[in-house]
Amino acid sequence: MSWKKFAWPALLLLAVLSVLLGVGVGSVFVPPADVLASLGVHFFGMTAPEGLDEITVSMVTNMRLPRVLMAFLAGAALSMGGTVMQSVLRNPLASPFGLGISAGAGTGAALVMVLGLSGGALGIFFMPLVSLVFGLLTVVAVIGFSARMDRDLSSTTIVLTGMVVSLFLNAIMSFLSTLSPAYAQRINLWTLGSFSMKEWSQVLVLAPITVICCLFFMRFSAELDAMTFGEEQAQLLGVDVRRAKWLLIGLVAVLVGATTAFVGIIGFVDLIAPHVVRRFFGSSHRRVLPASALFGGCFMVLCDLASRTLTAPREIPIGSITAFLGTPFFVYIYFVGRRRR
Amino acid sequence: MLQAEHICCGYGGEPVVRDVSFSVKPGEHLCIMGPNGCGKTTLLRALAGLLPWQGSITIAGQDLRGMKRRQIARNVAMMSQLTSVYFSYTVYETVMLGRYAHRGPGALQGADRQDREIVLDCLERTGLLPLADRPITQLSGGQLQRVFLARTFAQSPRIILLDEPTNHLDLKYQVELVAELRRWSSAGDRCVVGVLHDINLALEFADRVLLLEKGEVRGIYPADDFDLEALSRVYQMDVAGYMRRCLKKWE
Repeated sequence: MSWKKFAWPALLLLAVLSVLLGVGVGSVFVPPADVLASLGVHFFGMTAPEGLDEITVSMVTNMRLPRVLMAFLAGAALSMGGTVMQSVLRNPLASPFGLGISAGAGTGAALVMVLGLSGGALGIFFMPLVSLVFGLLTVVAVIGFSARMDRDLSSTTIVLTGMVVSLFLNAIMSFLSTLSPAYAQRINLWTLGSFSMKEWSQVLVLAPITVICCLFFMRFSAELDAMTFGEEQAQLLGVDVRRAKWLLIGLVAVLVGATTAFVGIIGFVDLIAPHVVRRFFGSSHRRVLPASALFGGCFMVLCDLASRTLTAPREIPIGSITAFLGTPFFVYIYFVGRRRR
Repeated sequence: MLQAEHICCGYGGEPVVRDVSFSVKPGEHLCIMGPNGCGKTTLLRALAGLLPWQGSITIAGQDLRGMKRRQIARNVAMMSQLTSVYFSYTVYETVMLGRYAHRGPGALQGADRQDREIVLDCLERTGLLPLADRPITQLSGGQLQRVFLARTFAQSPRIILLDEPTNHLDLKYQVELVAELRRWSSAGDRCVVGVLHDINLALEFADRVLLLEKGEVRGIYPADDFDLEALSRVYQMDVAGYMRRCLKKWE
């Protein structure tokens, strides 16, 4: 259809607008021109135009921009993770969290809170690091158990093992919450995700991970296309399915684990973004992967905007906003998909 | 072209196919026939390198065991029974996947001109050119079957393995499929091994018929001098009588 020609320019425009909106809207409104001028002053040493004070420049570049970029990166990372998992597991409702990443990362974060651990020199990176390690260990355990039970590492075995391990770790998290009521609220808030208090240092860690993973996934786009037709079909086309599956799941674990470690558990964007993008860009991963990243990023920036402005000065946990929008969508996909089959 | 010697294979340590040996010459069509559960699909899966096997399989003198997946795919293409599709690739994109094994390992490299020409040719041969941009989720079972046939051709293999490829095809396309396969295999070092249930179509398709029963070869017969008695023994029914009754209805 001819309107599909405009899908890429529209998505790029949406990305720019959502970032400008995310940076501009808040307790103090900063017009888009002032946002751009602030970026010019801070990053390129340009002269500030009349009426643009230092406080605004600092607020835009040191407070709002890292938060918005963090939201964009998290949305992009989770969306790409969802796209890859749906194709690898050949299940339109699959999610990277099905591998137990969120449950593992959450348990790690809960342990840090309850035991009162501190990382010394690692500072703000200590808890994300522990969460990442726990998330990755969980994925290794899930894949390890799956491989022991099923030499071919079939998708069904991975999904079932991931579900069982997640339930077990969620039970541990609940147990830790009841042991220490003082931390129960913190654990609960962490599991719903947040972009508040994000700094450039965190952006500079998550950005290269997201970009490198995106390039890696793009490198495997043909393999992903083949795998959506089933493992046997992909093998017949020449794909080394077992190797591709290990690599892709491993990379998804690193990407989503790192994201979750920094921003907490934010669901549904990984489910929504690939489906929305496939409607406009088709199913080929050469288009779906970058489009998912852009759309997921925009969606997360706008959800974050809603979370901090709807009930300002209080913030609604970002996970609640994405789940609020994501649940009806999930139901729609499930029932419409079933009716079609 | 294809040489299989003393093949044994199965699932979970249980042998389904036992000591099967046969060879297929360039340009030849071999049809494997036998009752349900006799190991036809299992044998095809071993020939495609999807199952571990004992014995020896060689393709144009090369041992299948030593080949990597890409190399196998450049030599052997298999059209399986129809499976459900979940994502809406276009017909063109689906057929283009057949070129995967011929591209370099860097998949960022897209399809080149030769790939595009081959795909368009395969679409034309299977009558799918007018549907090239249509999502495969909007196709009928028969159309989808033809898409997978076009993808099999696009793989440019030496050997095509067919597992009941006419399931969803109407009579016209069944006959056209056989004719198209004949055209394909007559050009160069190529052969076809197929599993077909329809006896008439099997005899139209095949040069020779391999009869399989309980995983063992009961005989290999020329299609134009077929032993219906052997077929009756394998299927445990009067095949000749059944065919005579069918013919009588038309008379």
